[in-house]
Amino acid sequence: MRAIIEPPPEAGEPLAPLWKRLAWFGGLSLTGALSCAVIAYALKSLLR
Amino acid sequence: MELDALILSRLQFAFTIAFHIIFPSFTIGLASYLAVLEGLWLVTRNEAFKALYLFWVKVFAISFGMGVVSGVVLSYQLGTNWSVFSQVASPVIGPLLAFEVLTAFFLEASFLGVMLFGWKKVGPRLHFAATTLVAIGTLISAFWILSANSWMQHPTGFETLPDGTLRAADWWKVIFSPTFPERFAHMVLAAYLTTALVVGAASAWRILKRGADEAPCLGLRMAIGMFAIAAPLQLVVGDLSGKEVMRVQPAKLAAIEAFWETRTEQPFHIAAWPDRATEGNRFEISVPKLGSLITAGSAAAEVKGLKAFAPQDRPPVFIVFWSFRVMVGLGLLMIALGAWGGWLMWRTRGPEYSRPFLWAAVAMGPAGFVAVIAGWIVAEVGRQPYVIYGVLRTADAVSPVGPGQVSASLLAFMIIYAVVFSVGALYILRLIGEGPETPPEDADEPPGNPLAAGTKGVRA
Repeated sequence: MRAIIEPPPEAGEPLAPLWKRLAWFGGLSLTGALSCAVIAYALKSLLR
Repeated sequence: MELDALILSRLQFAFTIAFHIIFPSFTIGLASYLAVLEGLWLVTRNEAFKALYLFWVKVFAISFGMGVVSGVVLSYQLGTNWSVFSQVASPVIGPLLAFEVLTAFFLEASFLGVMLFGWKKVGPRLHFAATTLVAIGTLISAFWILSANSWMQHPTGFETLPDGTLRAADWWKVIFSPTFPERFAHMVLAAYLTTALVVGAASAWRILKRGADEAPCLGLRMAIGMFAIAAPLQLVVGDLSGKEVMRVQPAKLAAIEAFWETRTEQPFHIAAWPDRATEGNRFEISVPKLGSLITAGSAAAEVKGLKAFAPQDRPPVFIVFWSFRVMVGLGLLMIALGAWGGWLMWRTRGPEYSRPFLWAAVAMGPAGFVAVIAGWIVAEVGRQPYVIYGVLRTADAVSPVGPGQVSASLLAFMIIYAVVFSVGALYILRLIGEGPETPPEDADEPPGNPLAAGTKGVRA
């Protein structure tokens, strides 16, 4: 089964270009923040 | 004792917050530990650091999730059970809790995804940045929560409006109320100690069961380093915090020490049976003059006793007195464990070869959680009968609801928590029971899947 928590790249494994890594960094962090916002607003709507 | 809505609401909040505090007090320390492990792996490329990181990040992910879920319940209770408190204090407390969400929770939520799912995608350095940001997020979270709670312990920088609601007049004074620095340091050190004790216990357990691999030995030595430094430091910070309590909450201090009379040369009660009915201690084992010396810095100093306060303004003595002794007793055991481990590292082959020490480390694994809960009982019960000290009584802060409604929701919480958190806690314990393991050189199976780890535990 594929690992859910991603391990680090193996020694000697080539890294993706910097722009691609930065894009993943930004994309994943934005997804996290948006998920948090969606859940927060959903919970807030329960108070109405 | 009559079970009215007030006592039931207090029981409900105590029950849910006692469950909740277990998780943040663990994840605050664990997030920093993970950042240190990853940083050390980046610098040294020692595979044992990577193995430790991959082991503890699974525990962190589950604990973090359970901490969030159990924390949401508390926010709702402020509205359902403590609506008068919310109405009166929300202009001051509300923004502090909102700042926690905006600055800390969003930071954690944003970079937790990179931390868990993006190591190969973003590369080692950006991943380390994400782990560090999550660790900083947990500390910022502690900052705001302790800020809000410290304000409730000793409110400053506010004004009361004609309708009875409170408004911040000076946000600086609200955020940095006088007891805040010591209480924040005390909580962060408690979180680090709690984590170190769990890491030490898991490593010791792994060594006892499967021998002294590099990863568990490294984990054990790092844990010993933490409690050898942090436990004595905690004693100093705790003492400073106690001095602040004496200054701003003398009734709480009197309850902590079971002082009834105001006098100089107060004795220190090692053990006592405080009795509110007789306004005295039924029995006591005491050291003369030491109470004044510890609390006020001089045996000749006068320290207030509980009789200096009207009976309706005194906190419950018995629970505060004994909770404090549980916390301090465990703290002293942590200092002893750190000293013992340090001595073994310095003078012998190492702590991993001392079975008595390894068993002691395993036995002390839960001590941090117990000490944290006991400490919070001292802080919160010691603040009674006020919810905002000197400003709003707990009895006046409760929602206008009936005991039937509160007892029904309390029962529901107890049943749901018993199921959900028992399963979660057992799962975490099973993961921890596996212990960190240095991967063999030719291992090509990616570690880190919590579900796989769990099923592996079942098979074992």
